[in-house]
Amino acid sequence: MSLQPVEGTKPNGPVAAAFIGAAVGCFVLGLIISLNEARIISSTFLDFAKNYGIGSGVGPLSGKVILSTIAFLGSWGVLGYLWRGREVNFARAFAVALILLAAGFALTFPPVFELFAAE
Amino acid sequence: MELTNRESWALIHGMVLGALFLLAFGGGLAGLWSLREKFLTTEGLSERTPRLLIGTAAMAIVSWFAVIVGTWIVYPWYRATPPEGTTDFTDFPRSLLLASPTTADWHNFAMEWKEHVAWFAPFLATAVAFAVAYYGVQLARRGDIRRAVLVFFVLAFVAAGIAGLFGALITKAAPVA
Repeated sequence: MSLQPVEGTKPNGPVAAAFIGAAVGCFVLGLIISLNEARIISSTFLDFAKNYGIGSGVGPLSGKVILSTIAFLGSWGVLGYLWRGREVNFARAFAVALILLAAGFALTFPPVFELFAAE
Repeated sequence: MELTNRESWALIHGMVLGALFLLAFGGGLAGLWSLREKFLTTEGLSERTPRLLIGTAAMAIVSWFAVIVGTWIVYPWYRATPPEGTTDFTDFPRSLLLASPTTADWHNFAMEWKEHVAWFAPFLATAVAFAVAYYGVQLARRGDIRRAVLVFFVLAFVAAGIAGLFGALITKAAPVA
């Protein structure tokens, strides 16, 4: 059974896509921080400022935020395309977004991401 | 009485953009909270919605400027490595903080959290601005979306608030000057 938009309103798919996209961006940022701490992703790789000339002296933070911004815009774009003109289960989409957001938030918290620190 | 180039940029990052962000948040929160059909006439909704869009869009734009200026202009001055043999770390805030065990946590905890969590604000604020732009006056009929927008809007403010608070405290301990 397909969901129908509230009468006189647009389908919610594009907005659900934006919310999940933003939460994916936050989660990816936290994930990259933790993987960098565990030395699975190296600081040298993440230094986009130096590697690609995007700024000067920013260091690994440049790669972390550029990759998470790409994740945000990319996931929003893909989901927005898939859900264009569609009414989706917004409560479920928002719950997914909140879970991703909470995980991302935890992974940016130093006492948490330091748990992954390589010896 | 004058400001150095670095102090001027730190001021733009923290005070100018921070104040605009707060202003946009206050207006946007009030607008979103009261955007309900039972509270407003049709004319009231039509009059209020463009202002809400301006407020949420301004918050998104300001938060992008704040993190970009903070990351690409102010942060490199903060994390600059002093030349070998340097004993006066006044121009090297990160090294100054790490030089003493009593101030090291301003970097190891406060700055490490601030520099990352601040980026949540533009992501969340952009999603909010998009939802307001997409639905316009129809948002008053979509209680589920409006409540979700409010949650993301407040979380964007919390992320920016953590970053702003630690930014002010770190600047007090080791200013970028």
